[in-house]
Amino acid sequence: MSPPPTADEALPAEIAALLERRAERVRARPASTVEDPVLWVAEFPVGELTCALPLQALRAAVPLKSVTPVPLSPPHVIGILRYQGQILTALSLASLLGGLGWREDPAVLLVVDSGFGLLALDCERIPKPLALPLSLVEAARGNAVGAGAEITLPDLRQVLLLDLRRLMDRRTGKEPRDA
Amino acid sequence: MLDSMLEQLLPGFLEEAQEICQGLTRDLMELEKGPAQGPHFDDFARGLHTLKGSAATLALDGLADFAHRMEDAVLPLRGSEKPVPSPLADALLRSIDLWMAHLRARVAGLEPPALLPGLALLASLQGGALPATEPAKGKAPGPAPPEPEAEAQPADEDSWRVSTRQVIGLLHEVERLREVRLRIDERRRDLARALTALEALGKTRLLAETAEARAVLLGLGRALKADAEETADVIASMEEQLRAISSVPVRTVLDPLRRAVRDLCRSSGKRAALNVVGAEVSLDRRVLEQLRGPLVHLVRNAVDHGLELPEVREAAGKHREGALTIRIEQQGNMLFVEVSDDGAGIDLRRLAEVALERAVATEGELAAMGPAQLHQLIFRPGFSTRSEVSEVSGRGVGLDVVRNQVQALRGHVEVQSVPGQGTRFLLTLPAELGSSPVLVVRCGEHQLGLPMMAVESSRLARPADLRIGRALVQVVHREQLVAVQDLGAVMGLRQAEPPWDGQPLLILNWQGRRLALAVDEVLGDRDLVIRPLPREVRDQPAWQGAATLARGELMLILRPDWLVNPERRGAAGVGGSRRALVVDDSLTARASHRTTLEAGGYVVHTASSGAQALEQLRHTTYDVMVCDIGMEEMDGFKLAATVRQQAASDAMPILLVSARASDADRQRGAAAGGDGFLTKTECVSGRLLSEVSAVISRRKERA
Repeated sequence: MSPPPTADEALPAEIAALLERRAERVRARPASTVEDPVLWVAEFPVGELTCALPLQALRAAVPLKSVTPVPLSPPHVIGILRYQGQILTALSLASLLGGLGWREDPAVLLVVDSGFGLLALDCERIPKPLALPLSLVEAARGNAVGAGAEITLPDLRQVLLLDLRRLMDRRTGKEPRDA
Repeated sequence: MLDSMLEQLLPGFLEEAQEICQGLTRDLMELEKGPAQGPHFDDFARGLHTLKGSAATLALDGLADFAHRMEDAVLPLRGSEKPVPSPLADALLRSIDLWMAHLRARVAGLEPPALLPGLALLASLQGGALPATEPAKGKAPGPAPPEPEAEAQPADEDSWRVSTRQVIGLLHEVERLREVRLRIDERRRDLARALTALEALGKTRLLAETAEARAVLLGLGRALKADAEETADVIASMEEQLRAISSVPVRTVLDPLRRAVRDLCRSSGKRAALNVVGAEVSLDRRVLEQLRGPLVHLVRNAVDHGLELPEVREAAGKHREGALTIRIEQQGNMLFVEVSDDGAGIDLRRLAEVALERAVATEGELAAMGPAQLHQLIFRPGFSTRSEVSEVSGRGVGLDVVRNQVQALRGHVEVQSVPGQGTRFLLTLPAELGSSPVLVVRCGEHQLGLPMMAVESSRLARPADLRIGRALVQVVHREQLVAVQDLGAVMGLRQAEPPWDGQPLLILNWQGRRLALAVDEVLGDRDLVIRPLPREVRDQPAWQGAATLARGELMLILRPDWLVNPERRGAAGVGGSRRALVVDDSLTARASHRTTLEAGGYVVHTASSGAQALEQLRHTTYDVMVCDIGMEEMDGFKLAATVRQQAASDAMPILLVSARASDADRQRGAAAGGDGFLTKTECVSGRLLSEVSAVISRRKERA
């Protein structure tokens, strides 16, 4: 009877090499010992666009069902729904952003705190958490126009960090409120 | 000396003033750090204005005047980029303290501190002079208010001091319990239906198991009925006791307004009689406390802005004495407060001029506004048509406060005005307790509620009773002609057409106006708790609120006054001349397409299924149909093919939309009769509109 293979023997050579490279990366000293402060956001797609909301504004992600349409309401209003005993308005994010396309019919509602109470925004899929460097966020907010701040990540991806107050004010035709 | 009624109101006012002064202090400290503008400045100005108005209503003239002087000191700074200077802020904070100390002493029956030194200080500030030096440590310039009383009165042995929050908590629990009881009723109805089905099964196949199940269900039904009755008794008892704790008669707020009207008339040379309808109604104490401010504003506004001088009224053929009316009515769990006058009405031309002067709206925006939209301008912060500032108005502080306070109560405010005839403000608010009888109807795919008190009767439409004109359909009802309206058409869901033979007609009677409302089906009556809509849709005049049905879904409740009043319905369903039908089973897709197409000038009707679209097409012709491919039951290909086979719609341009970009789908769509194809990713506004125009052109070329 032959002895059982050791861990190194049991792995194909290329996998072992990959694991070794990863281990080296982990062992390597970080470039900076001081961590950059970050803003945690919920990232999700709206058609071709990648949008994000501060994670602290997100209350829940619920299935898009049991929504009662409200005839005669503005077109960006999908309807109303009950959430934890409250009546909330569900809004179409693609419409709020001025008529964007989308990949899949939204199946999720994000319950968010707009600063004036809860409301629900439609979304194509459950958002993913993402840490945005605060320095990038602040720089982008300084130049923000419209519904949010456009942030270019180090990997050159663009993320639109939504400002819910501005987004709602744009639709209601009000002057943007002070931050 | 205050009369006894006003004396009774002072403790309530003290509580309100305390809260306002805390807010003023907070705002002032913020304004000391930042520019004298923005929400903090607006809130500060509103707070002072409310203090002034409420004090004047309670005949506390010294305090009203003092608040006016504080306004004089701070309002000229509005819009400044600089912070409120610290010495001024210091003096204002001292003045606020003195104001509160004076009020506290009045309420406690003590000698109040003199206001004169404070007035002198404010007068010196008005002239631009500020206190010369920073206050010495521990001592600020201006009069020092006396220390507030530290000792609370010992509790009465027969009563407990309970916080408002606890009572509100109980009210909410009772409201929830009422919803549970209504759900039990729904369950009983479901059970009765199951029993009927079981009985039908028993007739065909008499099985012992069926009989046994039926006996169990019958027993369950009886137990549920007993539980529902007991729950109803408990709720009624709790409601009665809570109502006694939390309600006060409306007259406690309305009576002092008579004095305010009298005083205002004396100072302005006008004449007015205040009529109050519903003063005997008892209302939730909190609602009433928060209504006090809005009522004061509206009544003062009615005298100052609405009513004309006696000689002007006489020249216009009116009675020298103007009529002010406050009507308070509770219907189910909704409260309606109406403040109306028979004065000059709102001058729309002047309103537009002021809106332009103050850059509230552009000329183009004003030109596009109808009277109802122009009326809404009066609720903007800082808006006043008065060119001169008086004790009563002209500072642009007031109606925005009314709207904010009503919105804080989850209500909304509307204004209607007819030049030369007067103005009417209607406040709609939810009451905490009670439920409302509602008639549930179906219109297309929508289930909607109508307050039963607006429904006089129901009947079926018969061709012999209909009088069909070019613009108006009427029905002969009890030997009278009543205008007929299709509910789907007034809600902009479909094109209006005369009722079909046997269509249910609801005869509505509201505020002396009658209307025969054609609906698709009457589903029955329910006792429901109507809740206010969320703020994003609360201002939609068609809706009174929403009620929760048994399975947790919401049903919208229509406002009868909106239905019976064609002027108020205004331009519902009217838009561009071209009509588009959007067919998609996704709510968000329908919303998105509607946004784009309406922006492109289309009147958009929507359908959530192929079957519903075909139903729409039977009654209405469309210039284009935008249709999703991936729908359940009948997909877009099948719908397009069916449409092409029907004579009425075989030439209608069809744009097919799909989540997938597949050549096979494009070819299949073209074969089924589609004139164009877009993926949903491509449905950005410009692309969708250009493709819609393209399919319309292609269809025309083929024709």
